[in-house]
Amino acid sequence: MDDLTEMLKGTLEGCVLEIIGSEETYGYAITRRLNELGFADVVEGTVYTILLRLEKKGLVQVMKRPSEQGPPRKFYALNDAGRGELATFWAKWEYITSRIDKLKEGGR
Amino acid sequence: MNFWEAITGSDLTRDFKAFEVRAAALPADHRAAWEQVKGGLFLYGDFTGRNLMPILDGVLGLLEETAADGQSIDEVLGDDIAGFCAALAGGSGARNFRDRWREQLNRNVARKLSRLGG
Repeated sequence: MDDLTEMLKGTLEGCVLEIIGSEETYGYAITRRLNELGFADVVEGTVYTILLRLEKKGLVQVMKRPSEQGPPRKFYALNDAGRGELATFWAKWEYITSRIDKLKEGGR
Repeated sequence: MNFWEAITGSDLTRDFKAFEVRAAALPADHRAAWEQVKGGLFLYGDFTGRNLMPILDGVLGLLEETAADGQSIDEVLGDDIAGFCAALAGGSGARNFRDRWREQLNRNVARKLSRLGG
């Protein structure tokens, strides 16, 4: 699907949190995961800026590990604050989707 | 940063040289993107540009990592480099020229108003 960017903007941070929450991972793998899910427009630069934000907000734990080739990679894992933020994200998501579904069905 | 560096900006020159050495090792399209990112970030620099140094260091790291993976620059930055720079600078809390102009304007207006209100 094209032109999802605007709609995705507010939720991408939550998506990245969820991906990091399921396993410790790095930028490139997160981008690939989002692409596989069908978010083809998401490039690594987008994920990079989100990761920077998460790091600044103190929601992730960062570890540098050497890679087989090239410079060391940054791996990300959720800390307690991150897990809290992720739970909040899903609560908000439930709220929004339930309201929008209601709207679509014409209910009140 | 010591006093000498603060006055002469010699630390900036040194850092910048180090950046360019690293950038020179990148493949051509990544190097072109580096030039564009530098241009794009310039807008968000403070008076000396010192606030940009850690940001530039991070971007260079991203470019190096992705180049080592053999990713194309399109996979890394897409077509919105200006947006990437804005997100970067915003995320790092860099204040830019426009913020300062806005502050100055607000101050001037406030002064004029208080004079009128007397």
